[in-house]
Amino acid sequence: MTLVLAFSIAVMFGAGAYLLLKHDLIRVVAGMVLISNAANLFIMSAGLSKGSAAIYPLPEDGSVSDPLVQAMTLTAIVISFGVSALLLSLVYRVYQTHRSVDIEQLAVAEEVETRQREEAVAEAEEEVPVAEEEEMALAERGANPVPVSVSESEDR
Amino acid sequence: MLVLPLAICWFSAVGLAILDGRRPTVAWTAVGALTAAFASIIVLATDVISGQPQQVVAGGWLPGVGIVLRADALGILFAIVSLGVLLAALLFETLGGVRSRSFPSLVMFLATGLTGLFLTGDAFNFYVFFEISMIASYVLTAYGEERRQLRAAAIFAVVNLLGSVLFLIAIAALYHITGRLDLFGIGARITEVPSRTVVLSAALVFVAFSVKLGLFPFHFWLAAVYTGTRPAVAAILSGAVANIGAYGLLRFGAELLPRELGFSSPALLVIGSASILYGGLQALSRNTLPEVLAYSSIGQAGYILLALGIGEQVGYSAAVLFAIVNSLNKGLLFLSENLRGWLVGAAFAVGGFSVAGVPPAAGFVSKAALFRAGIAEGSVLLIILIFLGGALSFIYMLRSYQRRFWVPEAPPDGQPAAHGSSPLRVRAIVVALALLVIALGVWPEPLLALSRDAAAVLPPVSVESAR
Repeated sequence: MTLVLAFSIAVMFGAGAYLLLKHDLIRVVAGMVLISNAANLFIMSAGLSKGSAAIYPLPEDGSVSDPLVQAMTLTAIVISFGVSALLLSLVYRVYQTHRSVDIEQLAVAEEVETRQREEAVAEAEEEVPVAEEEEMALAERGANPVPVSVSESEDR
Repeated sequence: MLVLPLAICWFSAVGLAILDGRRPTVAWTAVGALTAAFASIIVLATDVISGQPQQVVAGGWLPGVGIVLRADALGILFAIVSLGVLLAALLFETLGGVRSRSFPSLVMFLATGLTGLFLTGDAFNFYVFFEISMIASYVLTAYGEERRQLRAAAIFAVVNLLGSVLFLIAIAALYHITGRLDLFGIGARITEVPSRTVVLSAALVFVAFSVKLGLFPFHFWLAAVYTGTRPAVAAILSGAVANIGAYGLLRFGAELLPRELGFSSPALLVIGSASILYGGLQALSRNTLPEVLAYSSIGQAGYILLALGIGEQVGYSAAVLFAIVNSLNKGLLFLSENLRGWLVGAAFAVGGFSVAGVPPAAGFVSKAALFRAGIAEGSVLLIILIFLGGALSFIYMLRSYQRRFWVPEAPPDGQPAAHGSSPLRVRAIVVALALLVIALGVWPEPLLALSRDAAAVLPPVSVESAR
């Protein structure tokens, strides 16, 4: 029984970790859900017993299970439920703004925006006096984002 | 009395959640509530520090059976600093104009989580409050809701959630080993167990808090998040939320698992050193101010670990002192990130000096404490390393000051607000923080005494005996 539980926790955690390494943010969230549930099972396994009820007034005959782990697991389930909902809504907002949930494309976007900021800093240091010129330059860059190849973003 | 700050934060957070935080009255209500909570924490602190630690057991159960809220010098000190930084950031954002309806409420939820976490005496409740504050900060990271902030929030949430789950597993394992959940009980029973059964949970606890703190091998999320969020949120994350990591390492490492801390001290020293050097060198190579500050945070986290690795009272009090001064510094620097005007320049310079550990600022006191700990350890290498880290941080702070305040007119990001000086009210907060940093540097005695009191909470033995 304990071995089966340990094995299933391991499988769940492993599968979650595998999904966490995927490029798709939805799969990442799914991986987080699996890992949280593996943790819930682990808490249950901390007070594992078979067949007894978890009730405080001790019965005259027989044993009781540890009720505390069940209370903890319940709390942990509620928390992981809330966090999963939050993560999904966050991913949805990312999708709304980027039209993509692929981590690599997000990294490309990050790279482009970072480069724009750095160029703005460099320009500020070179004393571009007229603000309008800079605005025009910014608008131009906005229209034609600096091309960044995927391989470059992988190097980071 | 112990429940009061928690209750104020919690009820006001729930109440504010249904109101529109963009309206000034609502935001000011939040400021008022947080001030009240802050004041009650300070009143509590005067009781705790002058006398015994205070304790409340929920539901009238016996201690050890019921859930315990417990205030001792270590927790209360961290609570004061974290709430102070939160208050400064909330005031900053309120004066500058809140941009989303949930911001004041989220800050209050974060305050609830942090207060609870620093004042709890129960390992599982620690996790619950930890999650409350983390969930609030995931949403806060997305504050502003531009593309960068959303990306930052996604990274932050996934990485830190993994850290939280590891921590939960560690707590379950500790419960399995000791059969107790109250911190005192765990600490008392853990010594009866052979160390090899505990070491895995100790490693999990260490990883979980290192992720929070942003130490070197676990830092990868930090730069993207701190640079992506808005200044007030970055100040909250590095000034208040990062304290969870430092406090957790002290509470769980030094109090509950002193044996494991003792024999892993070489590893802590190596990781801390790597963190200092990596953070310093990366900060030196970055061009934009937020990035410099983000990598600087990684370097500063290394010092805390270094002090923890040195151990003993002298090391613990240096760690407490460093964590506190560092959160003030980072709060100050991140808040002044986008402001302009000579007052802000002066405040930023104070923050920069403090990070580098130059005398008039509080950073000097914490660096001096670290040197003292290094000398007590008797390792020349450590002292050289602390000095080298300080030199690196001096160079990168000077460079970013130069870039930030010595450039004429054209603003780095092209924001309209950056032309001319920022509103006086907003600048006043930054200046007040800077004055506080200077005051603590000029008159460090109260802070030193507090950090000694806080370190005295932790068991003085063990690090030597374990070697």
